[in-house]
Amino acid sequence: MLIGIDVGGTYTDGVVFDGDHILSSVKVPTDDNNLLQTLLQVLDELLNSLQNVDQISRIVLSTTLVTNILATGRGERTALVLIPGFGLPHNAYQITTDTFFLNGAIDFRGREIEGLDENEIITLAQQIKKMNFKRVAVVGKFSNRNASQELEIKELFQQIMPEVSIFTGSQVSNQLNFPRRAVTTFYTAMILPEWINFAGQIEAALKSRGLQSEIHILKADGGTMPLHKSLEKPCETVFSGPAASTMGALAITMDTKNSVVVDIGGSTSDLSLMIDGQPLYASRGAEIEGKLTHVESFSLKSVALGGDSPIIYNHETGKVDIAASRLGPAACFNGNAATVTDAFNQFYELGLGDTKRSNNFLGEIAALAQIPINELCDQVISQVFERLETEIKAMFLQWENEPAYRVWEVVNRSPFRLDRIIGIGAAAGIIVPQLARRLGVESVIHAYSPVANALGAAIVRPTMSVQLHIDTQQGICIAQPGGEVESPGNLNNMQMEDARKLAIEILAEQAVQAGLQDYAQDYSIQMEEQFNLIRSYHRSGKIFDVAVQIRPGFIHKYKGVKI
Amino acid sequence: MKPTGVLFFPAFDWAITPTHPEREERLLYTRDQLFEEGIMDLPQIREYHPRLASPADIARVHFVVPDLDSHITEAHLVAAGSTLVVADAYMNREIKNAFAIIRPPGHHAMSVSHGNRGFCNINNEAIMIEYMRKKYNIKRVAIIDTDVHHGDGTQEIYYNDPDVLFISFHQDGRTLYPGSGFTSELGGPLAWGTTINIPLLPRTTDEGIHYVIDNLVLPILKEFKPDLIVNSAGQDNHYTDPLADMRFTACGYAILNEKLAPDIAVLEGGYSVETALPYINMGIIMAMAGIDYSNLKEPDYDPGMFIESTKNMNAIEQIVKQQLAVFRHRQDVIEENRRTGPAWFNEYKRIFYDTDYIDEEQKVRISNCPVCSGVRLIDSSAQHRNGRLYDVFCISIPINLCPECHEKGNTIYKDMIKNGKYDLVYLQDRIDDKYLCYDSKTDQEQSY
Ligand SMILES: [Zn+2]
Ligand SMILES: [Zn+2]
Repeated sequence: MLIGIDVGGTYTDGVVFDGDHILSSVKVPTDDNNLLQTLLQVLDELLNSLQNVDQISRIVLSTTLVTNILATGRGERTALVLIPGFGLPHNAYQITTDTFFLNGAIDFRGREIEGLDENEIITLAQQIKKMNFKRVAVVGKFSNRNASQELEIKELFQQIMPEVSIFTGSQVSNQLNFPRRAVTTFYTAMILPEWINFAGQIEAALKSRGLQSEIHILKADGGTMPLHKSLEKPCETVFSGPAASTMGALAITMDTKNSVVVDIGGSTSDLSLMIDGQPLYASRGAEIEGKLTHVESFSLKSVALGGDSPIIYNHETGKVDIAASRLGPAACFNGNAATVTDAFNQFYELGLGDTKRSNNFLGEIAALAQIPINELCDQVISQVFERLETEIKAMFLQWENEPAYRVWEVVNRSPFRLDRIIGIGAAAGIIVPQLARRLGVESVIHAYSPVANALGAAIVRPTMSVQLHIDTQQGICIAQPGGEVESPGNLNNMQMEDARKLAIEILAEQAVQAGLQDYAQDYSIQMEEQFNLIRSYHRSGKIFDVAVQIRPGFIHKYKGVKI
Repeated sequence: MKPTGVLFFPAFDWAITPTHPEREERLLYTRDQLFEEGIMDLPQIREYHPRLASPADIARVHFVVPDLDSHITEAHLVAAGSTLVVADAYMNREIKNAFAIIRPPGHHAMSVSHGNRGFCNINNEAIMIEYMRKKYNIKRVAIIDTDVHHGDGTQEIYYNDPDVLFISFHQDGRTLYPGSGFTSELGGPLAWGTTINIPLLPRTTDEGIHYVIDNLVLPILKEFKPDLIVNSAGQDNHYTDPLADMRFTACGYAILNEKLAPDIAVLEGGYSVETALPYINMGIIMAMAGIDYSNLKEPDYDPGMFIESTKNMNAIEQIVKQQLAVFRHRQDVIEENRRTGPAWFNEYKRIFYDTDYIDEEQKVRISNCPVCSGVRLIDSSAQHRNGRLYDVFCISIPINLCPECHEKGNTIYKDMIKNGKYDLVYLQDRIDDKYLCYDSKTDQEQSY
């Protein structure tokens, strides 16, 4: 038996899944001020529905904790120390008010092109110490190619302020993009104390309930990681809720169509794309608090429009609008405001809840606007469709306009052809079929659609990836995660097959270390590049970049759902 | 403020030959530098996605012998198509200016293309400019070729067009490929003075080049009043370029682009892939986007590394003075040529394709029209590398010809088909956007 719990913005959903069906499900309102409490409430209700808790082999949690910490500014005050070298002006990297700059520079081949200034580092350390920072993030441009300057600074800092925790960019990411690496490292430093605390409480709570099951956290890339792994990279847990929904949509369809997944919640709708049955990734990484990061995430679009979005009459414009902030449930479900759900309920005669209440509350607004109720509903519904349609089309366009760096990528690109819309979330059944009809495609609303997010969390497999960069001329062989790698044999004789094999071996080794040996063979090649270095018409070396990953997918036992 | 458009197409899967300088690796470190800087994430920058140029886009500029498929690869179509993407974005006012960092390059490709010369098969800038003239009704264009090599292809394409100003500064043709670009090359009889060459001695520095920009290029631009300024942005004037011998710096390139303020810049050559390209490309983007570039420099650069000699400065001042006078006299000379010239102006040329080892012979005729710059006829023959000899006849009707010359060009096309002496007869009618190629062996006409 498997448990999946998704802590969303409005509601927290949980399911117990076994074999090919959901045994029980729970939905409770989320208490933003006490996510742990909400989570445990759902867990306890799920456990209460079971005879024997010993059979629970795995619990997967998706939580908005990291997003909440960053959004509310609860993260610990952190100094960001950058080594930007030459290029953009320093003000382009003023990521936070506590940003400091140091001399030094590494180039794209990992060569030191400007040395560090030890006195400058010591002076800065003393300043940071005086300012009472407990956390420091140190990030250098091209530290992904050569981490030595970051590490040297870390060592000097540690000597001067041993009580301070120091994070380096190279331990967080080795992808190109210095500002994203800086932001990701900075956020990691900020949120880690609270995350560690949270993880500890979860572990204790499970222990006190006598649970022996594995505990995993859901990531933005639609995969899981063991709880202890999340202590290294807590940022990866952002946007795991929408990722859970996307994976839930995949779980109930399990085919290779092109889909848009529309997860309609209380106050927001989350959109994601699936191409040939594979979720589409955000090419620029997850954007957290308005800043791009190196967190691998699905391409998501969140629209401030949900089933509980209230309908209002705007006295200034004389028009009917849909407000952004949720006041409570729909009138038909005993709420005290007319909502989007009520408009659909009335217009399409869906018979949801107390239809009289829908009618009454809508009537009040219709009277203000001096139009018939049906006209009001029609206006609201048109607005809902137009906004969702606009966002969906913008997502297609964005996908079609992704940059391409190879001839074959340009030649083989075709416009996005939509097959269907998959509706997820409680209000999806109300809105999605009509939306699909408008777009002239089929829609999928499954009996598990309302809890597909929790289902997705319950059954997805762990993901991990290894990126390997090899520069035979510079004698560089670096993996992320892991850092420098001992090359098997002479680096100069390395071929693409060898580089690929090495990356796969490193991935397998790391999977075993993380306790994920069952998935070590499920890898796929995410990216491979090789360049011949030509100097004066002669080959003088090679550069390889290989990324292997365990892609998002389902645990081996999962073969589809029965109702 | 609108962003600067950047289209980065490094063609990581294309090379002329495995060890040729025009290779996959060429923009690898530029990629690393641009991506690591995070410059594409800035609000001042918008990145664009390439597309393929259509056969008509190519035929608007080139007579490809024997046909497009014979030596124009998909990589060429993507590079040319990339310039059209940024042209559209610029004309639709999505961006304030644009830089297409693309390969393969194009500025050595001439009107007739029998193969690859100087690493180029088709001329990206000309394809973009003719597309913009046709689609957006752009009238006057200025091309500033800042590559170290003379942009002989672009010069040839616009040699007889008084509405397109072509200015190229480059390392002296006596010391560098393609061996042309002398001050005496000033444009055809009816477009005299809108081709301006500034040959520079090897080892010319920032100071010398900026003297040319300040005292020749900028004043001419001010007087010419172009609707569009294009920088044919080669980067091989750099002091570390392996194929040339100049002393220009990354900062020099950035300042140049700030002064020139091109609407669209298109990458041409530049083969110092590690020590120049990453920094120059950053510098050009920053200058075009209005980002402070004072923190940008090559790792080994030291101010005061290069000092211009008085002798060279004197020589440059001399050329600048001479060429400014040429430009300011151009109307008088054209009028004189028109009055005293024959009904057809004739020229005989030999063109060598260094990459493909092809020798081409051309007889060019331009009609002396009292109101326009005349229809251009090219009789070209060349033996291709597969041993086949091609005799082709090309008729070019630029977009600014008078109705009479337009008609004349179309009549000549029909006559030459009847004549039957040529393997292929081409009609390039930019006014009607009609591009035809008649094959006498098969008696078939292909239309683009
Ligand atoms: Zn060049
Ligand atoms: Zn005429």
